[in-house]
Formats: sequence, C-alpha cells, structure tokens
Amino acid sequence: MARTDSLIKLAWAYGLHLTRRRLTRPRPQLAILLETYAPDGIRPLLPEERERHPQLVGCINCGICALAAGRVGKVRLPDLAASYMRLYARLGEAVSDVEGESPDLVAAAAACPVGVPLDEVAAIVRRLAAG
Amino acid sequence: MSAPSAHDVCVIGGGVTGAGIARDLSLRGLSVLLLEKGDWGGGTTGSSSWMIHGGPRYLEFDWETTRLSTQDAGHIVTIARNMVYRLVFLVPALPHDKNNIERVETFMEVYDRFQPLKKALPHVRLTAEEARRVEPGLSADVIGAVTVEEWGVDPHRLVFANVQDAMAHGARALNHTRVVDLLRDGGKVIGVRYRGSDGATSEARAKVVVNAAGPWVPEISRMAGADVQLRPAKGIHIVYPHRISNFSIIAESVDGRDVLMVSHAGFTLLGTTDDDFYGDLDSVDVLEDEVDYLLQAFERVFPAIRAYRPVRTTTGVRPTLFKWRRYEDELSRRYEVIDHSPEGAEGFVTIAGGKLSMYRLMAEQTSDLVCRKLGHQAPCVTATRPLPGNESELEPAAELARRSGISALAAMKLQSRQGSNAAAVVKDARSGRMVCRCEPITEAELVHAARHEQVRTLVDAFRRVGLAAGPCAGAACVLRAASIVGDELGWSASQRFDAAREFIRGAWLGRAPVLGHSGWAEEELAQGAFRGLRNGAN
Repeated sequence: MARTDSLIKLAWAYGLHLTRRRLTRPRPQLAILLETYAPDGIRPLLPEERERHPQLVGCINCGICALAAGRVGKVRLPDLAASYMRLYARLGEAVSDVEGESPDLVAAAAACPVGVPLDEVAAIVRRLAAG
Repeated sequence: MSAPSAHDVCVIGGGVTGAGIARDLSLRGLSVLLLEKGDWGGGTTGSSSWMIHGGPRYLEFDWETTRLSTQDAGHIVTIARNMVYRLVFLVPALPHDKNNIERVETFMEVYDRFQPLKKALPHVRLTAEEARRVEPGLSADVIGAVTVEEWGVDPHRLVFANVQDAMAHGARALNHTRVVDLLRDGGKVIGVRYRGSDGATSEARAKVVVNAAGPWVPEISRMAGADVQLRPAKGIHIVYPHRISNFSIIAESVDGRDVLMVSHAGFTLLGTTDDDFYGDLDSVDVLEDEVDYLLQAFERVFPAIRAYRPVRTTTGVRPTLFKWRRYEDELSRRYEVIDHSPEGAEGFVTIAGGKLSMYRLMAEQTSDLVCRKLGHQAPCVTATRPLPGNESELEPAAELARRSGISALAAMKLQSRQGSNAAAVVKDARSGRMVCRCEPITEAELVHAARHEQVRTLVDAFRRVGLAAGPCAGAACVLRAASIVGDELGWSASQRFDAAREFIRGAWLGRAPVLGHSGWAEEELAQGAFRGLRNGAN
C-alpha cells in the first residue's frame, strides 16, 4: 500500500515537473552550485589537474623523496603527497602549513619509485589551499 | 566466577544502535551495561557508506521512511557537528539510463521537500557542459546531471561518542566481550553470561536485556528461545586512500542499481553491493567479481576510475528485515522494535533492521519500550543534547596548531575526531610528535585513545583515530603505534610485534581483492619492512 501510494505521488510529481519544464525557461545553475559549496571547499579540479590526478595521488609514503629534498613551507615532502593531497577539500584551513619556500621538487620527483610528480602536487595543493 | 553485577538494562551489541540505546537509557537515569563482542562499531556500522542520508531512493517505496530518516539525520547533524561534513553528489544522466534526467530531477524535486529537515540544500540541475566543468572526469556521453546533498560522518567516532556519553552518565561499557548465553528464570530473561577479553566468564543480572546485535540478532534471540528472522544482505566497498573528486558521484550498475562514489574527508568509498548472505557472519570475504561489478558501473560515467589505486575493501552485512519475494535492493530499510513477552521471553527486547541515519530514532523507540516495561518515566533528550566534543564551538584549527606545535592539517583532523576536546588531547609533551603522518595522528592522540577510549588492539586504533588509514596502509607507522599502545597497555616486546603483525595480516585480507600495479608496490613495502625487522623470518 505504501509502495502504491509512493508511486502515485511520484507520478503526479513527474507530470508537474514535465509541465513546468515546458512552460519555463531553464536558467544556468552552475554558478549557484559553485558559490553554495565554496565555503565547504567543494570546488572542481581544473581539466589539466583531472588528467594528471591519478599520478598526483599515487604516493605510497615510502619517504624516499625526503632524502632528495626537504620541506614545502612547513610540510615535509612525503606528507605533502601522502597527507595534504588526500584531503584537498579542506586545504583552505591548512594554508599556513604550505606557505613559504619550496625545495628542488623535480629532483625529489625523480627519486620517487612510483613516479609522483611532486612539483605538480605542490602546485595543486597551494592552489586549493589558497581557495 | 565473581558475583553477578546488577543493572536495570543490559544492551547486547556495540554498533551505533546499541551504543545509542545505552546513551539514551543512561541519560534517562537507568543503570546500563553495554556489551560488544568485537570493537565499537566494528560490524555493520563501520562497514557502511559513512553517510547520514535520507535516501531519495526510498521515495519509490515509502515516503514515511524518507521523512523519518531525514528528520533524524537533522538531529544527528545537530548533536554531532564536529563529525559531519557536506557531500555533494552528481547524478550524471546517460542516454540509456533506467531513469532519464527528467525522472531523476523529479525525484530530487520531491526530495528537496525533505532536505530542510536535515539542514541540507536543494538540488541543482546542470547541462552536460556544466557537469563536466564541475567534474572534468565525467564521460563525454553524459547528457546532463542533477545534484543532491547528503552528510558524511565517521561512524566509528559516532558510535564511540555515544559510548563515551553513556559512560559519562553511569553506564558500564565493555568491548571485546562476547555474550555466551542469556540467564533465564523459566522463560523470563534475567541477565547475560559473557566472556571478557581476558577469557574470564562473568554474569550480569538485568531487568531488561536488549538485543541490538545487528545481523547477529537471530543468534542472540535463539538464546532467549525467541525467533527473529532477518534477510541479511552483504555489501562491500572499495576504499581509495584519497579523494578522487571533491564531488561524489552516483552511477547505475549493470543490473540497474544505484551505486555511489562517496568523497569523504581524506578517502573515497565506492559501493555498495547488495546480495543475500547465507554464510558465516564472522567471516565475510570480498570477491573480485564484486570489485569488478562496482568498477564497471563507475567506468561508464567516470572512465579514469581504474587508473586510481584502491587501498583496501570493506565488507559488512545489513540486518534487513525479512521479506519473501523481493529483490535485495527492494527490501525496506525499516526497523522493528520487538517485545518478546508474548512469546514467553519476558524481559527481552529486540531492535532489528534500520539504518545508520535513523540510529537515534531507533534507540529512542527501543528505550521508550524499555522504560514502559520498567515503569520508568523520563523523557528522551538525545535529539538535542550534544555528543561529547560538541558542547562548545571549535576554535580555528590554525590557532590550535600554533598552541600545540602541530600542523594546521593535524589540528583540523584532530578536531574532526575530538571536537572541542581536541585541545585537551594534545596538551601533553608528546603532542607535536606524529605517529601516522598520512592521516595525520599525533602520539598524544594515540596515547589518549589507549588510556581513555578503550583501544585494546591496533585495529581498535584504526577505528578510533584512523591509524594506518592512508596510502601507506600502516607500512610507515604500525610498529611505532604498537610500541606506543604497548607502553600504555603493558605489552611485552613480542606482544607488540604480534599486534603489528596481526594488523598487517588482517589488512591484507581486505587488500587482496583490489591490488593492482602500484598497489603491489605499496604491499611489498609494507610486508618487506616487516620481514626486514624479522630478518626474513615471517
């Protein structure tokens, strides 16, 4: 009975929806979406970041990059890829951690056994942390 | 055997429902004993999708379930602010989906009426181009998308916060304590016999025994001579140790079910399956076929999914109410509070079915029945009374970081687990030293968990503070963690090593079905580091 009742109400709602779609002109809603959730850090990746993303999050935290280079801001290099890159929605709250000098990230990336492009990781973490 | 302890109520099962009942009854002034055979939230609760959601799909079956679920989700969001975060789902539409985009949007329009109950925002509709700007990884075949908002939660912390509050109000709560029998006087249930983590058997008398054992409900009911029939359903998730997208995604599987990619705080869950389960509830394996089923569904809308490295799988069994002649996916998530007095088992109550989002309501209604049976009059206050750590506003993470000498990221993560109690956790001298850098977790927090949060194994530490939940899966931290927990619990050197080995081996069972190329690299690293310490003997 509950199921029948639910389906009837949904059918009615569907009819109303189709009528409304015919009679009104849809407005773009992308800006509303992005504005609404920006305070929660829920923002899109750029297409070029999306393309490279599987490599950017490939860190296995072996720690070898720490031998080749030091810190990005206050953050040890392995932590940047193993920890900060994991949590990119809320990086804005940790922006103070990544401000400051960068070491030779290309050299550090060359030492990475799973090929994480650490220079790109630093760039995306800083972009997202800055909001 | 020592003399039996005496309580008003004994609750069997330390999942979210049992913990919620223990809290509710303690707050009403009753003396409560809560028993859990494993760790808090270690069964169905911990293997959920980590969501407080209303479930738009229930609109097809029963709007009342959606209303109750969203309403109670709203209460949970209010009392557990530090543990919850917004999830924004994209529901991409493809040309031959079961539901076209107009139908999907109709669902969301109806669901929008319930969203304010759980403090969530209404849906948005996107064109194909807009959808790909929001998530550039969506398939080129996507013709549009609709969004829907839900809440994410750490179920392990949610359970423990309930346990913690119950204890603060006089409850006795024991994990790693298995009920081996019920004490009976004729048909009447008058208490429990249980075996603790030390192997000793004890008895506890109780005026009412509540069976909140989730999928183990029928097993406990049989001890009381009662019959409760469930239709247990197995569900698995694939776990990625990072966010794949900031947006969660709903995809359609090959059999037309909705499956979810859920972007949680620092990891992604892909799931879930829903299959009748007839096996051993204490040993539920993940099959490679189940993993492929999920990947196939997401590959259709998010083609790069197979390029990501999963770190493990989770599996659990839902305690769904029994119904004949229904597909698993069509089974209701409703629940039932059963008084077994008419069957002759006076003093025995069961709560069966339900879902995480309604745990508080389930606990309230079960507690109401218990209070009626005891003639105890006290109102339920759990809808408004904050859980521990939510009594006051959080200070900015950067401020906590500066004062305690930890990174802002570590402070933020600590607050998500401990809420406003975070500062007290990191006030000792070890606060700045990290034990798990992936999560990240300080030594001070792990010490606190062992001292005050009933951590007895490293798997308990995984649940309580997220130990080894990151991309290294414990390779970099598990031995150090064993040493820290061992110091607190008085473990010998070999006990510490055994604890670490048990953790690594246990984790392997969840990892095996999903290991790919770099997954094997990470696995070799974890196992190799361990073998190295044992000079190759393992």
